[in-house]
Amino acid sequence: MDFSERKLALSHEILMQVEKPSQYTGGELNSVMKKADQVKVRFAMCFPDIYEIGMSHLGMQILYGLMNTYEDVWCERVFSPWKDLDAIMRRDHIPLFALESQDPVKGFDFLGMTLQYEMCYANILQVLDLAGIAFHAEDREEDDPIVIGGGPCVYNTEPIAEFFDMFYIGEGEVMYRRLFDLYEECKEKGISRHDFLRRAAQIEGIYVPSLYDVEYKEDGTLKSMLPKYDDIPVKVRKVLVQDMDGSFYPEKPVVPFIRAAQDRAVLEVQRGCIRGCRFCQAGQIYKPVRERSVDTLMKHAEAILQNTGYEEISLSSLSTSDHSGLKQLLEELIGECNRRKINISLPSLRIDAFSLDVMNKVQDVKKNSLTFAPEAGSQRMRNVINKGLTQDDILNGATLAFKGGWNKVKLYFMLGLPFEQEEDVRAIAELCNEIAKVYYETVPKDQRNGRVQITASSSFFVPKPFTAFQWAPMDTMEHFLDKASLCKRSVREQLNQKSITYHYHEAGTTIIEGIFARGDRRVAAAIEWAYRDGALFDAWTEQFSYERWIKAFEECGVDYENYIFRERGEDELFPWDYVDCGVRKEWLLNEWRRARAEVTTSNCRDKCSGCGCASYQCGICVKKR
Amino acid sequence: MSITVRFKFARKGPVRYLGHLDMLRYFQKAVMRSGIPAKYTEGFHPHQIMSFAYPLGVAMETEGDYMDLELTEEIPAEELSRALNDVMNEGIWICGAARLPEKALNAMASVAAADYEIHVDGTDTEKLRGILMTAVVNMMQEKILLLGKPQEEATSSADHRKKGGKKEKKAKDIRPGILSLTVDDQEPVIKMRLLSGSALNVRPADVFSLLAERVTEDTITASRIVRKEIYGERNGEYVPLLCLGADA
Repeated sequence: MDFSERKLALSHEILMQVEKPSQYTGGELNSVMKKADQVKVRFAMCFPDIYEIGMSHLGMQILYGLMNTYEDVWCERVFSPWKDLDAIMRRDHIPLFALESQDPVKGFDFLGMTLQYEMCYANILQVLDLAGIAFHAEDREEDDPIVIGGGPCVYNTEPIAEFFDMFYIGEGEVMYRRLFDLYEECKEKGISRHDFLRRAAQIEGIYVPSLYDVEYKEDGTLKSMLPKYDDIPVKVRKVLVQDMDGSFYPEKPVVPFIRAAQDRAVLEVQRGCIRGCRFCQAGQIYKPVRERSVDTLMKHAEAILQNTGYEEISLSSLSTSDHSGLKQLLEELIGECNRRKINISLPSLRIDAFSLDVMNKVQDVKKNSLTFAPEAGSQRMRNVINKGLTQDDILNGATLAFKGGWNKVKLYFMLGLPFEQEEDVRAIAELCNEIAKVYYETVPKDQRNGRVQITASSSFFVPKPFTAFQWAPMDTMEHFLDKASLCKRSVREQLNQKSITYHYHEAGTTIIEGIFARGDRRVAAAIEWAYRDGALFDAWTEQFSYERWIKAFEECGVDYENYIFRERGEDELFPWDYVDCGVRKEWLLNEWRRARAEVTTSNCRDKCSGCGCASYQCGICVKKR
Repeated sequence: MSITVRFKFARKGPVRYLGHLDMLRYFQKAVMRSGIPAKYTEGFHPHQIMSFAYPLGVAMETEGDYMDLELTEEIPAEELSRALNDVMNEGIWICGAARLPEKALNAMASVAAADYEIHVDGTDTEKLRGILMTAVVNMMQEKILLLGKPQEEATSSADHRKKGGKKEKKAKDIRPGILSLTVDDQEPVIKMRLLSGSALNVRPADVFSLLAERVTEDTITASRIVRKEIYGERNGEYVPLLCLGADA
């Protein structure tokens, strides 16, 4: 098919009025064209944010590539139109379209949305609105697309449950084929939408919210959540890829014309994380750790570079330093990239002699900074959060780095962690000062390239489902800001304060994110209210309005404080308890108690702590330690 | 000795909505995929030594734009074109290549003039052509064609800063820059050759807006502008940029 003859959904006049028009015209390298009348399933894969963000997301490339290997399926892409086009589409009644065929989304069989962060929830409604699809699953017509959600936010779907016909819990590679087979069978037999949903709910990993009855107690907490029918599971079990080497990987990813946030080839080296940091949701929901072998990774790397022409490649995973073959992988990759004149963009590695040597080979020491993520300033707090990084690790790493010529250090912290005291906040400033001190002690005056530059930034902590801190109260806005200013003052009191810069993130977003993260079905009304009031692109600081969201909760009678500011009871039923992600609730509760007692837990490589994921029989759980 | 090859390329269809920087990035990746032995700069972030004759505006189609690329070894031009065309996206293709002589000016410095076609929107072809012919004839009889605000209307410099530093354009006479202006004998298409040098650079959209002002009986719009060819100057003659390479 000749792309140059492809029709466009938007006229020339409209394209000339909007920013970056080519984000709406499709036709990029490796995008897939099929004939609509020759496929049985048309899948619109939507990332509910702008093109440049969505196209940087690996998960979407994986599913797009995989689904398009199915001859009977055509998967196309959809992104949120930016505000300029949004206004024009509403004015001229132009329905939301998919990039490849430029056909309206409403005519598709499925509309899939990948939900990567809570602050995209208003955008979900924009997509449905512009597509002409009813917000509530119960109001949809027989022929409307089946709206399916996936991604990390499905580990608490409840605030957005009524906007979706179904959710896919787990890794996309596993169950879509079965879902499509069922869909085709139902379509041929003329089986109704409702009956299709009921059958789909019996596929592992598929959750159909409309098939559950939810009741609340007088105190506002969840009383029960039970399936309406006997053949619907009480718990929906996460599905995952057991063999990473045998699983599909997109060797021909779509290459955007315009510069995406990630303008490079991406190599996913492993899934999951051995670390078990107590604040981290990703660390739990992607368990167990499953590595790709170096051979597989090199094969993918060569193919991707050949098929895309990217001039840079990056490694992706939650903790790349923990890959058992990292040394060999980097050696081979550096060789291959030097041959091809490709840059390697390194992930943040644990700082030691090996990683410094690698950085030296692929980066300009003078320009690049060293990154540490201690997350907390004091050792006591790092024990609370089970961050296996000591002050010695950091200072020794810094010493090595300073000797090697680095003089810029970036440090990431969180404020508002459970059991945090004033001295823990001050410890952030003290740690920064210690690092600066190491620089002045390690590097003789005549060899210094100016002052050491230490940049510390802190975000505010949001307790997430399926973490040890799912029981924890969140700090109020006032507490957050007090802690940030205490931290700022403490930095100014340090001897080396001139070498330290401190930033903190916006607190309003954090509060709203917290509500979405642990809210229940009653939150949906407020999302709808806020959207109708203009909420959109909330992940973009300048678009976000804290006041609007608070007003939305108040107008809709949503007791939002109840979701975030109280410590939850040990026997409380959570809205997300219907998901079985492998990690047992009793294990998490034990982690919550250990956090309070400041006791650390071993990582998966050192010793199994019995979280429950061994039931998946794969990855590190079945590997010899 | 450096080996520089000049490529002539075309683009049409949806891909015309790319901006110039995106075209540059597109070609860098295409060269990567093609396996052409491009020369790279030194350092931690090596990049290809690539330059373009004339940035393509968003939505402009082309049948004759140029890109220069330095190579590490001599390879026949046809082979280079084929290697690139094998890895192109639909809508963009290479129409020719030629090795540049050692002392040749780079593509951008060589640009002297360019040919364009503007496709005027509408279905009544004959009526449109008639309107256009009248306007073209009238316009070419004018001795001065002022573009932009007359000077006396320009605001004071203090106001400029408030508007974010953008300078008000002085009115300029583009008549000397219109080397030819005609209407196609079949279609409602305006054809022109315009000066494209550093002294006077005339854009086809400017010519079209002046022309549209002279059409009284109707409002005319155009959604397709095609750059047909870019010329350099040699001995007082306009020569396509590719020939500046090939003849050497």
